[in-house]
Amino acid sequence: MIDGFDWAYLYDTLPALLRGLRTTLIVSVIAILLSLAIGAIGAVMRLSGRPFLVWPARGYVAFIRNTPLLVQLFFIFYGLPVIGVRLSAFWSGVVCLSIWGGCYHLESFRAGYVGVSQGTRDAARALGLKAWQYALLVALPIALRTAVPSMANTSIAMLKNSSYLQAIGLAELTFVAIDRNSLEFRTIELFAAICIFYLVLVLAMSAGATKLESYLQRPFLAR
Amino acid sequence: MRLSTIGGAGRLIATCVWVLVAGLGAAHAAEPSLPDFIKSQGVLKVGVKCDYPPSGFLDEKGKFAGIEVEMARRIAEIAFGSPDKAELQCVTSEARIPTLNAKKVDLIIATLGIYPERQKVIDFTTPYCWGASGVIQLKSGAAKSLADFKGKTISVLKGASQAVWLEKNMPEVQTLRLNTVAEALQAMRQGRADGYAGDTSVLFPILSANKDLAILPEQEVFDVAFIGAGLRKNEPEWKAWLDAQLGKLRDEKFYSKVVPTVVSDVMVRDETIKFYESDAPKK
Repeated sequence: MIDGFDWAYLYDTLPALLRGLRTTLIVSVIAILLSLAIGAIGAVMRLSGRPFLVWPARGYVAFIRNTPLLVQLFFIFYGLPVIGVRLSAFWSGVVCLSIWGGCYHLESFRAGYVGVSQGTRDAARALGLKAWQYALLVALPIALRTAVPSMANTSIAMLKNSSYLQAIGLAELTFVAIDRNSLEFRTIELFAAICIFYLVLVLAMSAGATKLESYLQRPFLAR
Repeated sequence: MRLSTIGGAGRLIATCVWVLVAGLGAAHAAEPSLPDFIKSQGVLKVGVKCDYPPSGFLDEKGKFAGIEVEMARRIAEIAFGSPDKAELQCVTSEARIPTLNAKKVDLIIATLGIYPERQKVIDFTTPYCWGASGVIQLKSGAAKSLADFKGKTISVLKGASQAVWLEKNMPEVQTLRLNTVAEALQAMRQGRADGYAGDTSVLFPILSANKDLAILPEQEVFDVAFIGAGLRKNEPEWKAWLDAQLGKLRDEKFYSKVVPTVVSDVMVRDETIKFYESDAPKK
């Protein structure tokens, strides 16, 4: 074992870390749900073929993907109040993560949808399906099969990136470790502990995503 | 041996010289010497603050500046003959002690308050500066005393002594813990906090630069503290040497010379020199 690793300290700190973990989970879950909605709406706009919908979606993706998350976070927390929008640390974090994750989800949705073969589209048309019927009943289920792995990836990245929210003083898991460390200097204990917390959460999410993938891979009638 | 052939006068001179040399040698031995691990490095690796004027900050050219930066340079000059032998590194409040204990630096001169939690993990030199904590607020703020902040929010830096003091002594006060002074002030201006608590040595310069802010009355300062340079545990030789040099700096009125180079505001300048060259109030 690591020399001087203080288990007793870790035991004493566990309640604080668990409170941090709870905040991390709440922020991440809300943000992931919101980001999925943003991604879905954005993808519809992006695929609509109407320039006044396509271009805002493209601009959004370009802007978010090409700027650092921490900069976006500071912009939301310290920048928005200048124009009169003052969000709490919690909601600044939720908004920031959702907007960040939403743009990746958007691209995943789009990639999945575009990946549906032309043959399938032709077949749907030949059977007399309307455009919305094709999109909802044929393309979407197939698109999801392609999109789910990368969407899971994005969601996991969001959970991990919630650690950036320590910078605006939100008491999530990493904040607790940094705050405690700056007072009590138990670097190894604290960061080892939060690493394990994050690891367990991410492994659980990965397992869930794998299950979802295999479920979606099955044909409709076998579900 | 040749001296003995010169005669009585020569022998007398030789004896005098010998006594003088031996005497100097003895005086030299009483003076702590630079430990070998520092000497062999040929440079003095020091952690300083980069966002804490006038103690340690980056000037308009992005170069290190500040009282503590000048201290580091002066100590390097004493040790190695040139102020350029100070190898400076930025440390934030929360990174100071980990950076030291990871041996990235051998000394931190970074507004480091001496208090028991820290003394468990590092050693301190004798204090080179004293200070107290105070609270500033917007001039439009309503608080007249520290007690008025009960039930309100005060922004502090992560790892700052004020965070601990408030938690222990005024648990009714919410703390908003951020990473830099700029962020903490911004949060206060945006109404996310009602005040900002920090070291008075830092608050005065903030006040002179931000005319929209005001400090609570002088009797409302709390947690009088001493600031020392930090070094790793169990380096007594290094500590003794540093203590001797810091004493020398105070005796030679080093701070009266350095402070005016970084502090232009007269009120702040006098307050600041006081923290370094006078004894702390007995409270």
